[in-house]
Amino acid sequence: MSAVLSNRDLLLKPVFANNPVAMQVLGVCSALAVSNSMQTALVMTLAVTFVLVCSNFFISLIRALIPNSVRIIAQMTIIASLVIVVDMVLQDVAPDLSKQLSVFVSLIITNCIVMGRAEAFAMKEPPHLSVLDALGNAAGYGFILLSVAFVRELLGSGTLFGHSILKTIEQGGWYLPNEMFKLPPSAFFLIGVIIWVVNIAQRKRAKA
Amino acid sequence: MAFNKDSILGTMTFTVVLCLVCSFMITGTADVLKERKLVKKRNELMQNVLIAADIKDVSDVKGTFEARVRPVMVDIASGEMIERDNILDFDERMAAINPDTSSKIAKDTARIKTRANQVRVFKVLDEQGQLQALVLPVYGKGLWSIIYGYVGVKADLNTISGAVFYEHGETPGIGDFINHDDWLAKWQGKQIFNAKGDVAFKIVKGEAKAGDKSAVDGVSGATRTGAGVAKAVQFWFGPEGFETFLGKLKAAGV
Repeated sequence: MSAVLSNRDLLLKPVFANNPVAMQVLGVCSALAVSNSMQTALVMTLAVTFVLVCSNFFISLIRALIPNSVRIIAQMTIIASLVIVVDMVLQDVAPDLSKQLSVFVSLIITNCIVMGRAEAFAMKEPPHLSVLDALGNAAGYGFILLSVAFVRELLGSGTLFGHSILKTIEQGGWYLPNEMFKLPPSAFFLIGVIIWVVNIAQRKRAKA
Repeated sequence: MAFNKDSILGTMTFTVVLCLVCSFMITGTADVLKERKLVKKRNELMQNVLIAADIKDVSDVKGTFEARVRPVMVDIASGEMIERDNILDFDERMAAINPDTSSKIAKDTARIKTRANQVRVFKVLDEQGQLQALVLPVYGKGLWSIIYGYVGVKADLNTISGAVFYEHGETPGIGDFINHDDWLAKWQGKQIFNAKGDVAFKIVKGEAKAGDKSAVDGVSGATRTGAGVAKAVQFWFGPEGFETFLGKLKAAGV
């Protein structure tokens, strides 16, 4: 199918129409866990973007050399190495954030989006297309993560990126934070709503 | 010669090369970051010790630490202080599991199996050079993980000056109250030992009684994390922990 896709489609389709989280319901675990604040969501998005782009690029680069019998292991090795590098850099640059994200950075290894794109796309397509595909999917992941985090942080803590937006009662304001939004289940609801909206939009477009 | 990637030789060659390249990538990154990591680790250690000693709001952590904190090694069994070079980089974790430098615990209330024979503690001096606090490492198993921290006692070697738990893997959002400042603030002024000299420190269910000098409020839903922390403190201040060392210090009249 990818042969007929233009560059623009590669980049934009995964963001809305074929969003990896909303449409394929991949990578939901980490999306639930790290979306309680904008900051962690943004860092997680950047980490996933880096891993996804690099893994897609390298795998696509050596795709002709990867023996069929060990291809999944080879992909895992490359992805795992990249994730370890990201984890180490993150621990160095932002130790506090890295503590907040805890295991979820290492768990990028098992993020189905990364594996999925490597197996489904990078193994078949040339590097430049793979990078575009990776960027698109990372943007799709980030779009969901950041929108969920936006709602969760705003309603859960009354802040955005740690800056107070809705002044909470504790600080002498008027807003009573909704504790539910701090907990992972709220992300389920929000992702559910996003999937719903995207589905409706898709259907409308199909009819038109 | 045509390279057949799907032959056994081709597969082997590919895997070996791939593994080598990937491992170089990782070790390369690790090596670049090594020095910076070490500095960070030391800074964190200094910061933790100062918090446990209740020295807060210092702008220059390193300077304050160097001026007022004396790290020393203590032999647990004899309670003697031991000279050692480069104490700040002493690897406690290794020492605690290496059979040559550790011993089995007889009464393993903290559930840590072995403990190092020599442990690093920190003497914190006040501006006049008198002992202000003694910061001791404590660790023990909570619900899921080993919780690592420092507990500081004031010069009477009994009253808690502060505590910090810098590493744990307890349930996020439930068991991680142990590094919340407002909870740790409740530790300050509590007494580890009772009048008889036994370890009395405990973490109770719900709120501690107003008159109880050794009890800290527990957090509901995280009973076992709290119990783990309490047991760690009880162990490390007990007979297989720093009891001998503290006894000697007291006898020497610090």
